[in-house]
Amino acid sequence: MTSSSSFLAKGPLLALLVPLSPLVQADLQSLDDSDMAGISGQSGITMELDLAATANSISYFDDGSGIHLDGFRIGAASDPNARAHQIYKIDILADASLNLDFLVQDRRIEFTDVHLDDNPSASMGGVFFDHDLDGNLRLSPGGALSSAGYTYDVNYQMTNGRLGYRTNGNEVFLDGISMDVSAPGMTLDVDGSTLVLASPSVTGSYRVDAIRYSNNPLNHGVSRDVTSGELLPSYGSLSGDFDLSSETRITAGGRFGDEGIRIDGSTTINSANFIYSDDGNSIALLGMTGASTINNLRLDVAPDWQGRQSLALTVDSISGNLDIQQVQLGGNGKNLGQINLDYLFADQTINGQAYTNAVYLQGGGNADAGNQGLRLAAQWSLANANVAYTEDGNRVVFSGLQSWGQGDLTVDVTRNEVRNGTQFYDGLRIGFEGVKGGYRINGLRVGDDDAPLQGGTELLLALGVFPSYDFEIDGQITLGAGGASGEGLTINSDIQITNGRAALVAAPYDEGSGEVSQKGLWATELNYDSHVRDMTVDVTDDGLAIIKGEAWGTMDIGNLRVGDKTDGGSFGRFVVQNYEKGSSMTISPGGAGNVCVGGSGADASSCAASGGMWEMRGDEGVTVGLKQVFARAVSDTKRNAFIWETHRHQGADGPENGTGTQLVLNDIYTSDGEDLDGDGVEDNTFGIQTDLSVDIYRTKVVKKGDGADANGVVGNRGDEKIMDDSTAAGYRYVASPTETEKADRPLGFAVQAHSRFKELSVNNIDLVHPTGGAATAIYGVKLQNMDIKANLTATPIQ
Amino acid sequence: MSKYRMNRQSRMASLALMGVLISLVSPARADLNRLDDSTLSDISGQGGIYLSGDISINEDGGPIQNTYFGSCSDASKRCGARLAYQLKEGGGWMVLDDIRGKFSFEGLTLRVRKIDSGFGGDGALFNRDVLEIGLPNIVRYDSVTFKLATSSTARPTDPGFQQTDIFSVEMQGDVVLEGNLLVFPTGNP
Repeated sequence: MTSSSSFLAKGPLLALLVPLSPLVQADLQSLDDSDMAGISGQSGITMELDLAATANSISYFDDGSGIHLDGFRIGAASDPNARAHQIYKIDILADASLNLDFLVQDRRIEFTDVHLDDNPSASMGGVFFDHDLDGNLRLSPGGALSSAGYTYDVNYQMTNGRLGYRTNGNEVFLDGISMDVSAPGMTLDVDGSTLVLASPSVTGSYRVDAIRYSNNPLNHGVSRDVTSGELLPSYGSLSGDFDLSSETRITAGGRFGDEGIRIDGSTTINSANFIYSDDGNSIALLGMTGASTINNLRLDVAPDWQGRQSLALTVDSISGNLDIQQVQLGGNGKNLGQINLDYLFADQTINGQAYTNAVYLQGGGNADAGNQGLRLAAQWSLANANVAYTEDGNRVVFSGLQSWGQGDLTVDVTRNEVRNGTQFYDGLRIGFEGVKGGYRINGLRVGDDDAPLQGGTELLLALGVFPSYDFEIDGQITLGAGGASGEGLTINSDIQITNGRAALVAAPYDEGSGEVSQKGLWATELNYDSHVRDMTVDVTDDGLAIIKGEAWGTMDIGNLRVGDKTDGGSFGRFVVQNYEKGSSMTISPGGAGNVCVGGSGADASSCAASGGMWEMRGDEGVTVGLKQVFARAVSDTKRNAFIWETHRHQGADGPENGTGTQLVLNDIYTSDGEDLDGDGVEDNTFGIQTDLSVDIYRTKVVKKGDGADANGVVGNRGDEKIMDDSTAAGYRYVASPTETEKADRPLGFAVQAHSRFKELSVNNIDLVHPTGGAATAIYGVKLQNMDIKANLTATPIQ
Repeated sequence: MSKYRMNRQSRMASLALMGVLISLVSPARADLNRLDDSTLSDISGQGGIYLSGDISINEDGGPIQNTYFGSCSDASKRCGARLAYQLKEGGGWMVLDDIRGKFSFEGLTLRVRKIDSGFGGDGALFNRDVLEIGLPNIVRYDSVTFKLATSSTARPTDPGFQQTDIFSVEMQGDVVLEGNLLVFPTGNP
């Protein structure tokens, strides 16, 4: 956030500095004597200029290594051969402060390439920034620390803005940026050898009309395609406001060699709101507050750990917190709940390997995509984070999140083509090359951050998140512009995970006495090959809608281990293959609402009369609607199948896949059971439809036996667990809780589920012997007309 | 057609029976140990989850509306789920038809734990990690019904469909399941 606030404040400074640059070739207005005479505080100086400036290259050298901005230009945004119009009015006011009013019209600042010394042909790509500016800068003597410093008051309005990134003729850019910023009382001081920039109040608002994509090389910073005249497709629009304060300290000296830049800073988010809109429907993060501290960020031109020359950003630590009061989703303003997180990025050692936080920026991107693109050789080390989710006043904290890793990320703007033998898609392509990392969660805390650590992280499996995961990732995700209709996202991805170790059930890695071997049920020697084509993501009136075009993948679990993830006993090998066409998912705010658990009835009295328990789970929470359409097999890789293999031959590297005995459920598919569209093929559109409503709610937990439990708390079988902070264990057992005591039942996840399908079939079930071959045990299974409803509560065990 | 009504209170004093059942269906055979009551009684431990709830199958019927499946209020049609499987290529189909009912349970737990003590000294010898499924004390069956049948076709709407209902089952009442089911691998994976 420091960088953001600094950037916001520097806009006018750039406006001031640009006309002073020796590169500028401007038409200057001649001043007569009367203008010159007025600098005592009355009429001042007015400069009006039409500016066009170019430079073949601007270079920065650090310990002899250089980074070069090529094709630098300042001129008109609307015409590459025209000049930007600028007016500056300078006054010396009565209190000896300098006042600068500035007006900038139709200006573009851009560079076409960024490259490093060691590889001139590999470019990071080009950036352009269009804007109109109307603002004011007042410079007064005296800073925050001494009279030798300066005080700045800045106000400006930016309109008609564009900020874009271009590689190999393709562009992604923010279009129609407007911004109002007010930053009074900024100070600039020198403290010893450190430059101190303090911004006590930076307030403003912004709007981005569209985030556009172009695959036409003839387009450059335009909203409409120059060939067709059509508006370029959009990912959506952005808007928001902010109230920040920050202090940034800048010192000479890098982490590598003698030269470089050191930055330390702190930023406080007094308030902020952020809204992403897709065809008028929004995801809104409202009521944000927080703070962040950057400790010893260094900027160097230096080689990465593989000796590749880079623009290196390395940091000792980044810490902070962010609170989001409301997460609204969809067109009706309904709320998912509150999110609070705190984080510490700092050096740590995992499995004997040291990890730090560093990004080494290099040119080139994906090797097949062209010579322009961005490569980020990255190391990350999240030493600790806690993520809290609160809905209807009930709070669960996912505690002790750690993450680590290193590898190359590539960023390219690509178009739909086969280039150098690689298939690319329209959009912003994020590539993963040899990214090796992992994460783990220590446990849950319910109620507040200081509550006892509990299990239950496996509840995240319902969201497709493993509680702990080591992985090596290669592949790509391309984010295209435009959803199922209008704005939105279209995703094409190919991801390969190798040597993975994923927890299905996980105990804490630290129960308070230091790190221990994390016990669990592990999918190890995991190789996962996943492909998605034309998946659209849109914000709709009801929430977030994800529609898969075609998706297939193979998850090959070499060993399903219990206990330790490296040497725990193995249940054998499991292979799960999926092939889906037309599957979808919707995520909507709001949980189950009022529920009759264990009975039936539309109100409390009728529910109680049926023997049920009436629960009012509130307005917040989340509901997920899934439709999984399992297609019939078309090949060995595009099919739905399940394989369990045991008794494998023991090779030098452990069990060898394919040498054992297998149980194979082959070609699992859904069907509507009829051909309504008359194409001669049974329809397959209904799939398996599941609605899951999830709330955090007080749940009934009963003791399962007489006597003391593992924490020494005594109770009888059937007694209810009631939370009580006055007791040593934080809870007690009660035979017949009162209504007041029921309000202190343990918090857990309450899930209301409804799943149904017309037909689910298995073509055949085979038993495969390594020498005898396959023998079919069952020649077909057909399950029809299924409708399952469930009310489940899942509570972490303390 | 016969009808069997179940209302039983069965207590499983040890894990042996469930363990045997698991080992019969699993190529990875489990070693079995007898657990004492104190070991079975706790809900506390080093993590895991505690599950309670109810599950109903075709309470109001299923999604198919045709000549065979329909609303539960239509006595001429079946509103339950149907499972058919074929054991011989080109042969007939075994069928569980009109599957309906509701199950309720309280206190099913799931966690991973290490057994290295107790069990009359056997725990120290065992010294391994297990996946522990803590059984709920009571599972309540509410109008759980199905019909066992044989059929000439997979679907009741296929041409030439003929079906013979052999008997139907209705389960009502409580089943007591106590103790922990310990699942662990053994043998060659």
